[in-house]
Amino acid sequence: MDSEGKITRRRAIAAGGATALFGGGVAYVATRSESGESAYTPETFHTGEGTTVFGTELGGRPVAGEREAPVDIYYWTDYLCPFCKRFETETLPEIGRTYVDTGDARLVVLPYPNIGSYSMPAAVWSRCVWRQVAGSDPAAFWRWHEAAFEAQSESGTDWADEETFARLTERTAGVPADAVDSCRADSAGSIRDAIETNLGVAQSAGIRGTPSFVLYNRDADASGKLVGAHPADTFSNALDRVLAA
Amino acid sequence: MTGPAGSAVPAWLGRLPDALVHPLTSNARLLAAGAVTAVTYVVLVLGTFPEFTVQLLASDPTDLFYAVAALTRETYLTVGWVGLALVATYAVLAGVAVTNAVALLGRARRTGASTILGVVPGVLAAGCASCGAGVLGALGFVGAMAALPFQGNLLRLGGIALLLFFLGRTGDPLTCSIGGER
Repeated sequence: MDSEGKITRRRAIAAGGATALFGGGVAYVATRSESGESAYTPETFHTGEGTTVFGTELGGRPVAGEREAPVDIYYWTDYLCPFCKRFETETLPEIGRTYVDTGDARLVVLPYPNIGSYSMPAAVWSRCVWRQVAGSDPAAFWRWHEAAFEAQSESGTDWADEETFARLTERTAGVPADAVDSCRADSAGSIRDAIETNLGVAQSAGIRGTPSFVLYNRDADASGKLVGAHPADTFSNALDRVLAA
Repeated sequence: MTGPAGSAVPAWLGRLPDALVHPLTSNARLLAAGAVTAVTYVVLVLGTFPEFTVQLLASDPTDLFYAVAALTRETYLTVGWVGLALVATYAVLAGVAVTNAVALLGRARRTGASTILGVVPGVLAAGCASCGAGVLGALGFVGAMAALPFQGNLLRLGGIALLLFFLGRTGDPLTCSIGGER
C-alpha cells in the first residue's frame, strides 16, 4: 500500500471533516434547549409538617400532592441550577401527572443554595412567596417557581439578581409582591438561618448538590436516592421500586 | 532533551506540527485517533457528574447518549463556550497523543529497553494531563466547577498545555533524531 506512512489528501480531508463534525455536534448538543414540554402545575398542595427521616425540617415547606400519599419525594433544588431546570421541564411533568396528581407520591421542595452568590437570596424569595400564597392560592407559588427557572439565562449565574426576581414576582399572577417584599425585609435573616441549618443536615445525610432526590416510603420505611436530572423512565422505575417496598 | 535553555521551548514547539499530523499517516492511526477522541470526550463529560452517570447507566446502559447530551449542555451552561471548547480540544489532542504514544512504544520495543524507559515519562505526561480535566469529575458536581478559578478552565488549560508539550517533545514518533534527543 503506497499511501501507508504518507499524509494523503484523502486522509487530511477525512480528519478535517471529522473534527468539524465533532465540534459542530458538541456545539449543537450544547445549545439545543430543553424540549419545552407543556408546563406542569400540581393539582393539590399543602404545607409540610415535621421532619424528614434524616432530620431535615419540613415545617412551612411547599409540598405538591396529597398529604396521605405513601411516598415522599424530597427534592433539593437551587433556582440557579441548570440541571434542576432540566428536571423541571423534562422529567417533572410526567412524574407529576403519573405519581403526584394520582396520590401515589408527594413532592417536597427543599432549598439547597449551592450554585452562585444569589442562590441563597433566591431561596429566601421562594420561601416568602410560599408564605404569602400557601393559604389562599398555592398554585401561584408553582407559577412563580416555574417563572424563576424560566428566567435562567444561557450561561453563567449573572442573570440572578434583585431586579430579575422582583420583576418575575410582580409579573406572577396571584403573588402579592408587596407582601413578599415585607416578608423579605422582616424575615430574611431567620429564613436564611433555617435554610443553612437544614443545608447542614442534608449534607450530613449525603446530599452534595442539586438536583438531588430521596424517595421515601413512609409505611415501609424504605428509601432510594437519585442524583441529577434523570429521564422520566429512570425516575419512574426508582419510584415504582420504592412504592412496592 | 538537553540544550541551551533559550532554545528548549522553540525545539518542542517546532516539532509539534509533525506530531499533530502523525495520525494522518495511515487509515488505522486515523481511526484510532478518532476513536480515542470520542472515548476521551465521553469520559470527560460523564466525569463532570459521576454519581448521576453511574446511577443512570446502571439503570439503563442505553441512556449513554442521554447522559452525554445532558452533561454536554450542563457543561456549556455552567462554564460557557470556553470551558466546553477546552474539553473538546483536550479530547482531540488526547486522540493524537495516544496514537503517537502507541507508535512510540512500538518503535521503542524494536530498539531496546533503554528507549522504552526514555518514552515512559512522555506517556506518563500524557496520562497526567488527563488529570487536568478528569480531576474535576472527582469533585462531584457540575456546579462545583463554578467554585474553581475561572470555573476550572485553568485546570483544563493546564491539561492541554501538558499534552501539547508531550506531543512537541516526541515530534513525529516514527522519525529518529540524531543525538537521542527523543
